[in-house]
Amino acid sequence: MSERTSNQVDGFEPKIVAFLCNWCSYAGADAAGISRLELPPNILPVRVMCSGRVSIEMVLKALMAGADGVLVLGCHIGDCHYGSGNHRTVKRIPLLRRLMTYMGIEPDRLRLDWVSGAEAGRFAKITTEFVEAVRALGPLSLPLREGL
Amino acid sequence: MIEDIRALARELLEKGTVECVIGYEVGPTGRVRPAFVYEPADVERLIFDARCYHNLVTYLTRRNKPRKKGEEVPTTAVLVKPCDARSLQVLLNENQVQRDKVYIIGVACPGMQNADGTPELRCTRCDQRVPLIYDVLCGEPPEVPAVTDTYDDVERIEALPLEERLAYWLGELDRCIRCYACRQACPTCFCSVCEAERDDSLWVGIADRIPEKAFFHIIRAFHQAGRCAECNACEAVCPMGIPLSLINRKVAKDVAQMMAGYRAGESEEPTPLVTMLTGEEAIDEIH
Ligand code: SF4
Ligand code: SF4
Ligand code: FES
Repeated sequence: MSERTSNQVDGFEPKIVAFLCNWCSYAGADAAGISRLELPPNILPVRVMCSGRVSIEMVLKALMAGADGVLVLGCHIGDCHYGSGNHRTVKRIPLLRRLMTYMGIEPDRLRLDWVSGAEAGRFAKITTEFVEAVRALGPLSLPLREGL
Repeated sequence: MIEDIRALARELLEKGTVECVIGYEVGPTGRVRPAFVYEPADVERLIFDARCYHNLVTYLTRRNKPRKKGEEVPTTAVLVKPCDARSLQVLLNENQVQRDKVYIIGVACPGMQNADGTPELRCTRCDQRVPLIYDVLCGEPPEVPAVTDTYDDVERIEALPLEERLAYWLGELDRCIRCYACRQACPTCFCSVCEAERDDSLWVGIADRIPEKAFFHIIRAFHQAGRCAECNACEAVCPMGIPLSLINRKVAKDVAQMMAGYRAGESEEPTPLVTMLTGEEAIDEIH
């Protein structure tokens, strides 16, 4: 058996919940599919109307219910369908990343980024990068999860 | 100072300017507790000293509705220290309290003390001795100590390795009995139905177990982001001695760092978490 660090588990496939905003990132994901780009199968997409809808409750629930990482994708700043929804997301998610780190969870299990409806390639790149980043971190094992 | 407060309270009640004065009194066990004075004859009950740690602003949101249908919202006078005034400012910014329905009796704050006479930790970090907002100020403003809050308590936790931090918080939060005293004592935790206390909540269950307890504490602290005035009311009432201020202060520190030095209750701007970008933020790289 090959040597491995305690974090790496053989055959570990990260489970990723991705919140995609309806107007840009979901369309971007769709475009990636239509263009037959190679996408990691680890992503569980959840369509939300705006990245501003992604409350910390949704992120925490995903992590506690078994996700190893959470990806939040929205329209680029200035392009939000609702004007300023992503202005809130861009403050909220980094703040939650800091609080997670403070509580002892790796911040890189949560990522916020922007993908427009035309950026199929960008969607494939970000999802692949994120899956690999979480794979490197290993499974999220929280005693917090017991019984959930 | 207390004579000024009593005289003012008597005048306000006699003239009918306010329906009730919320202040402090000594209870039957000798401990200081909040007092609700409705009659001019009762103003002698009022006291003010270094034991008056409670944040009375908590009671204002509950009084911000008419007694009976068709009646006006009653007017209330309330005693505020500088930290209490900051949480009152937050409530005013959020339209939870009407400015013309509250008469603010500001007190020049001597700093609060623990039962053994030592100064309360939060007061050793506080650089305000006069409330930022009041209608009348009682007492002579003491000299303002030259202190800067270094957030050394938060930094001590930040310096621990990741696994130790997780172990530390799981240990602390495991003691929580979900009595919600912290939430009740907090002036800026005013939702009529708390999402942590619903049996049909979509997000957090009501069980008294570690996952739900940790979940509750993270959302509680996050809902106070840019709103917590660091009055420490939550920690003061916790029967299990959970260091809630360590979580609140971590969030406050990050909000100040990322959102151009924003501090809750020091301006009429609402928490930056609900406003648009101004271009002055120093938000971390988003990925
Ligand atoms: S969370 Fe605690 S410290 Fe902050 S305003 Fe509420 S009671 Fe005060
Ligand atoms: S007051 Fe203490 S024990 Fe009660 S819910 Fe808050 S943290 Fe938990
Ligand atoms: S609609 Fe896409 S981020 Fe708001």
